[in-house]
Amino acid sequence: MEALHPLMARCLSGASDLFSSRGMKVQAMGARQGLNGHFQIAWVIPSDPTFLPIVRATLEQLCTVLGWSESEAKLITLALEEALTNVIRHAYCNRADGVIELLCEKSDGKLQFVLSDSGTAPDPARICARQDDSMEAGGMGTHIIRGVMDTVDYQSIPSGNRLVMTKRIRQIP
Amino acid sequence: MKTSVRDQGIVRIVSVEGDIDLGNSGDLRKILFDALRDSGKLALNLGAIRYIDSSGIATLIEVLRESKRVNKDLVLFAMSPAVRDVFKLTHVIKIFQVYETEEQALGGAA
Repeated sequence: MEALHPLMARCLSGASDLFSSRGMKVQAMGARQGLNGHFQIAWVIPSDPTFLPIVRATLEQLCTVLGWSESEAKLITLALEEALTNVIRHAYCNRADGVIELLCEKSDGKLQFVLSDSGTAPDPARICARQDDSMEAGGMGTHIIRGVMDTVDYQSIPSGNRLVMTKRIRQIP
Repeated sequence: MKTSVRDQGIVRIVSVEGDIDLGNSGDLRKILFDALRDSGKLALNLGAIRYIDSSGIATLIEVLRESKRVNKDLVLFAMSPAVRDVFKLTHVIKIFQVYETEEQALGGAA
């Protein structure tokens, strides 16, 4: 196993402290890093929007460490947060006591996010991009996710729902 | 998220600062609906917004629809890069009146 990048270790450590201080269960934060910079971070978080800023801060820093610009890091974080928001709003109907598992994995030149929940299955009719210039607010989260991520795959699993999203990591010359 | 409100003539200027997400977009909605109801025109300063998600954009769309319903102007100005990126990504930038400066926004709203 390789040592964590110092910046990554710092942002994960800070996030771990914040999560723990709010009673969140944190699993393997920064504990799995393999060869060639591959790593895996797993979190189990409640479906409570008050925790979104912590996820946001951690992911933004992580994306910056991986070489994305500040603007790109914000958009990737936004897409992930839209996925979390959809789970909170639709799968758990705004209940704060649901459980969301988030797995973030860097391998083979891409960053992959896997989001799992045990809430209500998403309505396929809602998983569609909004119309341009529309005055309707619905479907915006899905539109953002599809606009930012390279692949988006909604899956039904025995325990509930899974969303797999990937983003290619830009090669720095 | 923090907001501050001041009046200039019949225009109520609301400055929004910080992050807008699912956790606080409902609060912003109430502040903006109250401001719209109590003024002749509403101008939003978005220069100090660091982050906005789809629930924040949806809130602004709701305020825009309400402004059209009551026949009042809603103008946005000093949009931060973070806000502009999300507006472009969601294709909503064309449905709002967006200005670079407060002076232009108030002039455009007059």
